[in-house]
Amino acid sequence: MVNITIDEKKVQVPEGTTVLRAAEQAEIHIPTLCDHPALTPFGGCRLCLVEVQGARTLQTSCTLPVTENMVVTTDNDRIREARKFVLTLLFSERNHFCPYCQVSGGDCELQNAAYEQDMTHWPLQPNWKTFDVDASHEYFILEQSRCILCRRCVRACGELVGNFTLGVEERGADSSIVADLGTPLGESSCISCGVCVQVCPTGALIDRRSAYLGHDVELDKTETICVGCSVGCGIEVYSRDNHLVRIEGNWDATVNRGVLCKTGRYLPLDAENQDRVYTPMVRKDGKLKAATWNDAIKTIADQFKKSPKSAAMVPTRLPAESLHLFKQLFKDQLQAATVTSIEEGLNTKLPTQLAAELGSPFEGALEEIEKSDCVLVLGADLAKDHEVVGFFIKRILPLGMELIWAGSDNNAFEQQAHQVLKPKAESYADLLQALNAALVDKPCAEFAKNAGVEESAVKKAAQMLSKANFPAIVYGEDLLKNASMNTLKALVELGHLSGTIGEQRNALVSVKGKANSMAAAQYGLDQPFNISDEQAVFIALGDDCPSQKLIKRLEKAPFLVVQASYSSQLTAQADVVLPVENWAEQDGSYLNLEGQLQNAVKSMPAPEGVLSNAAVFEKLAAALGYKLDSTGWKDNLLKQIPVSAILD
Amino acid sequence: MPKPKVASDWMAGCAGCHMSLLDIDERIIQIAELVDIRATPITDLKHADESGVDVGILEGAINNTANEEQARLMRDRCKILVALGDCAVFGGVPAMRNFFTIEESLRRAYIETESTDSSGMIPNDPELCVPTRVRAIHEVVPVDIFVPGCPPDADAIFYVLSELAHGRMPQLKENNLLHWH
Repeated sequence: MVNITIDEKKVQVPEGTTVLRAAEQAEIHIPTLCDHPALTPFGGCRLCLVEVQGARTLQTSCTLPVTENMVVTTDNDRIREARKFVLTLLFSERNHFCPYCQVSGGDCELQNAAYEQDMTHWPLQPNWKTFDVDASHEYFILEQSRCILCRRCVRACGELVGNFTLGVEERGADSSIVADLGTPLGESSCISCGVCVQVCPTGALIDRRSAYLGHDVELDKTETICVGCSVGCGIEVYSRDNHLVRIEGNWDATVNRGVLCKTGRYLPLDAENQDRVYTPMVRKDGKLKAATWNDAIKTIADQFKKSPKSAAMVPTRLPAESLHLFKQLFKDQLQAATVTSIEEGLNTKLPTQLAAELGSPFEGALEEIEKSDCVLVLGADLAKDHEVVGFFIKRILPLGMELIWAGSDNNAFEQQAHQVLKPKAESYADLLQALNAALVDKPCAEFAKNAGVEESAVKKAAQMLSKANFPAIVYGEDLLKNASMNTLKALVELGHLSGTIGEQRNALVSVKGKANSMAAAQYGLDQPFNISDEQAVFIALGDDCPSQKLIKRLEKAPFLVVQASYSSQLTAQADVVLPVENWAEQDGSYLNLEGQLQNAVKSMPAPEGVLSNAAVFEKLAAALGYKLDSTGWKDNLLKQIPVSAILD
Repeated sequence: MPKPKVASDWMAGCAGCHMSLLDIDERIIQIAELVDIRATPITDLKHADESGVDVGILEGAINNTANEEQARLMRDRCKILVALGDCAVFGGVPAMRNFFTIEESLRRAYIETESTDSSGMIPNDPELCVPTRVRAIHEVVPVDIFVPGCPPDADAIFYVLSELAHGRMPQLKENNLLHWH
């Protein structure tokens, strides 16, 4: 520990702490612009200047490590004068026209910093040079005139997302933020995660959707979790008058620590452009007509009562509470022939069976991946789904992590991999056996040949894994698609042989499917959806988008109920449509891919007359004369052995 | 104590800051009782008294030789000069013209405008003032109080006016600046 004095306050901090962080710990405020807690210190804006006893000049507190008995002053006339000068240069370097900027008036860190220094104007005028505006991107605009070159966006793109799209070109006053080597943002390697927009201190990165829709103080903010996929990132939902305005990553969330992908940040906002279902509808004389809830529920109950064979399907985006009610209603009580989830157990059925066979969870925690020095990605398209897991991997590549990528499709990760393994279709089992053999110095040529992979490539990958101190394995849908239990067992063996699964740590993770993939599996909602002569089918679609495959499979259903937030081709072919809440309008529990039980919090009220998914299941149960237990959802989650330990 | 004399004028602006005086609502009566309002753009008296006023308020940027004269006249005749609004403080909307040459701006305004027919021409009467680069007031004459905002918040305007009316110098500081903008 190092002892230092800041503004006559004694502080004790660990060695290597910067003066800025030490001051924060002592609750002493130092103004900053380029600093961001999630990014490495940069020392670019010079606003955090402080006086250090014995130092000739003022020092940037964000980059200055503490030393024993250091005496720091954070506020005096000399410092304030310097800060004002720094701000004057920042304001006059480009064209900061506050009146027309969307963040002016409370949300601009530059403007707030100037007000904090009592500045009502700045004495130097700009040199009236024009700067480019890049409006080629779908979700945001880059306005160079408002940029202060703090490079938060550049650092976020590289350090947090590992995408390295943003950079700086030219020098001095000509410096500007560019994508790739000067490509328009919309045509660049940008993956639209929007982390750069979230960290921008000024209005230089303009969010197309939320700009001018209100300052932060005018918006309602709800801390909740993203239900876009099984990662379960912490988010902050900003809304105003029941409209979604913006979604940001929650810096305090343990799962994602601030980062978010396009699926989490931007896609949910598009939902408002979809047609909402506001009232129950029942088909009469070939046409869907508005009905009361009672009529609609009665129609469904009557039909299901007289149908000897029925089927029901639920999306894995719903809270565990709703999934549990659904399972009780259709599986335990109605005993429908097929009761499953939209994923049909693709991502979970086999792993859950293996966990049962092994008698314990065999997967580990997401945070282990980031501590790894070698990561093997097996059949998981992390550039398309579960992107945040991809960020965790990509961002440690510059630290010397070695990436082995194995998959049958082409993938954005392939180019960054140190070793690529491309097995033939349905031959992951051979590939795994080849790797296992190579790891114990046994001949692997035969397995490699069966997998359609070069023996040397397998050997090299095995070498990388065995050399690594902290290997990690991430696997996904492509591996599980046609896998047998032997494939999965070979995978676990690989985990043990490589040291991925050990006594101290377990870095084997599967990405699973949608938000509550694992909870659905725990409730046994993981059967294939094969319908033939079912007389009645209930699809609790929620706010999910039906796939063309599903629509096609249900074309011939004699009686189809669709419980949905939005109109779709599927609601159009339904006999009864029930309007339900979307993700933002519901509370509930979600089990993420590593078994963390998290809570989604309602951020907006549902439209009048629209019910929660759970309420609809309860209504229908009552009409059928069943009683559902709404409390046992948690106990039932733990009834079978989960793939990874459930952490409440 | 005699009532402080206040004069105002507008230059390259939109008159919005003057209109925003009305945003202070009924408090305008308090101000009217406390000060002696002299020349303003909307009173018969257009120029501040030759004998001088206590407070001069200027709205708008300086974008031609006539504005320069207005600013100099006000500066000469007032004790405390207030730059009211973003145009006065740093150039504001009119200053966007500075990205072009004066020739380009004039051509755009008098010849290329969509509603102008082939008879369009740039006025060149020697009696007219000459357009210049757009400047903040403080680039031409010294300013004592800067009130930023487009327009400034009504509470900021009232605070500045009532302090001046009571013979005090307004202090635009961190907290009220953050609160008002």
